[in-house]
Amino acid sequence: MFSRKKQLRSRELLKFNINHRLNLLYVALFVPRLLYFILRILRPFYERKENWLNKTWRYGFLTIGGGVMHPAEMRAYRAGIKAVIDNFKTALAAERNNEPLAWVEWILNAEIIEAFDIASFNTESLNIFGNTMGSEYPPALIAEAESQGVPVENCSAVKLSVGSYFLKQIPEPTLIIAASHPCDSSISVYQILEYLTGVPTFSYDAPYWKDATSYEYFTMNTWDLIDFLEKQLDKKIDWEKLREVLERVNEINFYLREVCEMNRAVPCPGTMISLALTWVIREVAVRSPLAVSMAKGVYEATKYRFDKGVGVVKNERVRVLMWFPPIGFFTYIFKWMEHEFGAVVVADFIGHISTIHINTETPETMVHDLSRSQLHLGMGRQCHGPVEFIVDELEKMLEDYSADCVFFMGHNGCKHGWAALKIIKDFLKKKGMPALYLNLDIMDKRHTSEQEIKKEITDFFRSHGWA
Amino acid sequence: MNERNDTSHMKILEKIAGIAASERNDYLMQAKKSGKKVIGFFCSYVPEEIIHAAGFIPYRMRAVASSGTEKGDIYFSSLNCTFVRHCFDKALKGDFDFLDGIVFLNGCDHTRRLYDNWRHADIPPEFRYMFVAPHKVGTTAEKRFSGEIEVFKKELERYFNVTISDETLAASIKLYNRRRELLQSIYEAGKSKEVPLRGSEFLRLMLALTAMPVEDSIALLEEFKGEIQGRSTARPGDLRIFLASGCVEEPGHLELIEELGASIVANNICLGTRNFDLAVSEDDEPVPSLAKRYLYHLSCPRMMNTSRERLAYMQDTCREFQVDAIIAEKLKFCDLWGGELFLYRKESRKLGIPLLALERELYGGSSGQMRTRIQAFYEQVRNRKSTADDLFCAAGDDYQAGGKN
Repeated sequence: MFSRKKQLRSRELLKFNINHRLNLLYVALFVPRLLYFILRILRPFYERKENWLNKTWRYGFLTIGGGVMHPAEMRAYRAGIKAVIDNFKTALAAERNNEPLAWVEWILNAEIIEAFDIASFNTESLNIFGNTMGSEYPPALIAEAESQGVPVENCSAVKLSVGSYFLKQIPEPTLIIAASHPCDSSISVYQILEYLTGVPTFSYDAPYWKDATSYEYFTMNTWDLIDFLEKQLDKKIDWEKLREVLERVNEINFYLREVCEMNRAVPCPGTMISLALTWVIREVAVRSPLAVSMAKGVYEATKYRFDKGVGVVKNERVRVLMWFPPIGFFTYIFKWMEHEFGAVVVADFIGHISTIHINTETPETMVHDLSRSQLHLGMGRQCHGPVEFIVDELEKMLEDYSADCVFFMGHNGCKHGWAALKIIKDFLKKKGMPALYLNLDIMDKRHTSEQEIKKEITDFFRSHGWA
Repeated sequence: MNERNDTSHMKILEKIAGIAASERNDYLMQAKKSGKKVIGFFCSYVPEEIIHAAGFIPYRMRAVASSGTEKGDIYFSSLNCTFVRHCFDKALKGDFDFLDGIVFLNGCDHTRRLYDNWRHADIPPEFRYMFVAPHKVGTTAEKRFSGEIEVFKKELERYFNVTISDETLAASIKLYNRRRELLQSIYEAGKSKEVPLRGSEFLRLMLALTAMPVEDSIALLEEFKGEIQGRSTARPGDLRIFLASGCVEEPGHLELIEELGASIVANNICLGTRNFDLAVSEDDEPVPSLAKRYLYHLSCPRMMNTSRERLAYMQDTCREFQVDAIIAEKLKFCDLWGGELFLYRKESRKLGIPLLALERELYGGSSGQMRTRIQAFYEQVRNRKSTADDLFCAAGDDYQAGGKN
């Protein structure tokens, strides 16, 4: 592990993404076919493992397919990358110019912020984009948080935000929007961030159930948030701007829901990395019109294969359902499984879309539907209540997606997930569904490395005759 | 203190210790025999008055006398806290077979899965209810909490075919307020130099009171209060400690902290001030009053927008109780208290109050290790107390007790 304090300059990771890595990818993706061939040719130099020579571009190359992703999908990612670059630039500019900047916790999206026309920043961004400079950086940020006293057992996804703050890698906020779901780590870490930054913080309180009273309560929370923002920013909400962004969100949801529907086909026409990345773009830059372009691009690429009746891999051998959050430091897992085993992840915990269409007729309908939609975002919808929210959705997925097996992504920080494991195991056993139970940390490769994960998956497929 | 008093307060302390040592006691069993129903509940956010007004005995769930977590570990992982694993183990072994109902709460990620696993394992009693408390305070949350209490009330009425009238509820509120008042006065006595009751004894008292009918607990408290008047447990040189934690329920652990040369004079624990802080208004509508009290009482770290108030409470208590040092604890894998310890560390350093942060397992043993850490901490605090400030500063930052926590 490197000496973090000496090596990282202020905001270096964000600037590296803006000026170098993401920017380069964005430019290169103007010619996706050429990039595809370059990635294909260079594959032996970066695909297997990270080394000093490839560490600053391996993650980016693998995330956009590592030379085994169709150029049509790669083209779609270009818009998403630009949306992220724009978000980072706007956030840093707001800090530089002493303008308001809202940190928005990852389980919430920033649509409301758009209606106040101020900059927003997803506090957990570096979980993904910190890897572009080398996969040791996110663990370094996590280690910094731990060394400052943040509990080791807290979820690494939010722990990293504290480390990023201490190491000055993320812009200073003027206010924070936090949430009580999906887990205790969020509750705990956002109180720490509130204490450290000393800025006004609004906390969304997720209800336990999903009934009319619960949705009403969550909707009231959104009204309270609007109130909070109006007071803090000393300006009124712009309903027209909210309508505009929500109409775009409806469009995103439409395209992604269609992709999810198409992925039910055998063979599966879509690759799960696209849905997972769209989730990330939604997290960071839902406000950008480019997020719609990305969703549309992913939809068109999937639709093309769906119409032709072909799968994302030529010879689909295994259909995998991935339950619990995917691995941040190993986004290539989807394409790797497709390429190595003909194993396609047909649905997962976060990529699946079950958000509702938002009625943009009146402020009341917008706030009501937006609140409901926020509670249905990936991870949020499954984790804030009883175990049935996890198991019932799993059951429906198994039926809808004709899955052959389930991967349980046992994330170290997900205490409630581990406490539900026996119930999930019993359910899958009753269904006669082969399952692989992984024990890892989705954001921290120090816990279980990419190689170890690959080995476990390979062994699982071999033991079931799929490899 | 005369000999008679000494013997009688020893007797009552022994009686309390006996009640606290087991999950059941004579008071509870006698009431049960006479036809009273016992409803178990987790967490200090469950309004006991509603259960009591239904004619039942609220029983605070506990893991006392647990023999291990072997069975609990079948359902919970080693990444889950030992409180739920011990409790669930006891449930699987039938230790809670006297319960007629059980009320769970979305207190934390571990306890909310107790509700799921309890149903999955289909452990009696049949009445298993999830009571939902907001994670923040404020008008919206208060309204929601009021509604939640109403629904809970109706569900008890429906399931057990009973009626909870406003009158019975008002009477229950009065009783619980009386218990809170008595407990508060006993607790406040800790401000004196004599320390009439040690922290470990106070915990035993709380364990006993929360496992018996409230009427009996008030009678016991009244007797107890009289008995300990004029009592002094303070020893020369004892440090005065503020203890902050979640579900601490091992008097033995608190004894260890005290026997090394300290008295726990104040606390912020589930079975402590969080239980009796703030009375319910007797002048307003009962349900909204209950909502107000249970939402705004001294909070636990599960509440998102009250951390400033909790830290202010820590500061005020340390001043009022003339605290020498803080011991803040968490059970392993508790995210909520983990975050709270971070805040405590930063704040206590700012205030110049020495702090020892402990992480441990419930009924996890390792008393030798604890002893060494606590002894070393006390030594640092004493050195600091008896060393002139300039000399202390010259020794460097690392010398500051709790400074490097």
